[in-house]
Amino acid sequence: MGNQKENHKFVLCVENKDCEDLEKRKIYQILPDHDAEKEGYLRVIDESGEDYLYPQSYFTLVHLPREAQEALQVSK
Amino acid sequence: MFFEIIGEIEEIETIAIGGRIRDIMRIQKLYGPGRWRKLKGFANVKLQTGNIRKAELHWYEAHGFGRKKMKIKRFLD
Repeated sequence: MGNQKENHKFVLCVENKDCEDLEKRKIYQILPDHDAEKEGYLRVIDESGEDYLYPQSYFTLVHLPREAQEALQVSK
Repeated sequence: MFFEIIGEIEEIETIAIGGRIRDIMRIQKLYGPGRWRKLKGFANVKLQTGNIRKAELHWYEAHGFGRKKMKIKRFLD
């Protein structure tokens, strides 16, 4: 117990058309939302600090080492 | 926009005002000073796929600025 770190998912923003709370070439954390994913949307914690639905096509999934994930968590 | 609101937004309510808005500094920097409110409501939205879903929407408003940063919080149906 306690030695399993949660594996957070991160995406790289590659498009931000009509999305003022996303910045291109920036990494964002995503949260699971299977219903939204079926519609082609991802639940993304955006620049407002809250999670909202954005088109999957605006992002590409990135795999970060655990140290990088932890650093991003701390910086929120 | 990556979604289109179909019809009217219903059950609109204010969820934060002024300094209670998490990113009030960004809002004021982008649009200017004002008595900003964050609101939520429910509407049918047409998605990029063409599907229509009922969704909870969040956005910001201040007198003279209209609705800004309309975003989908979640699908409801």
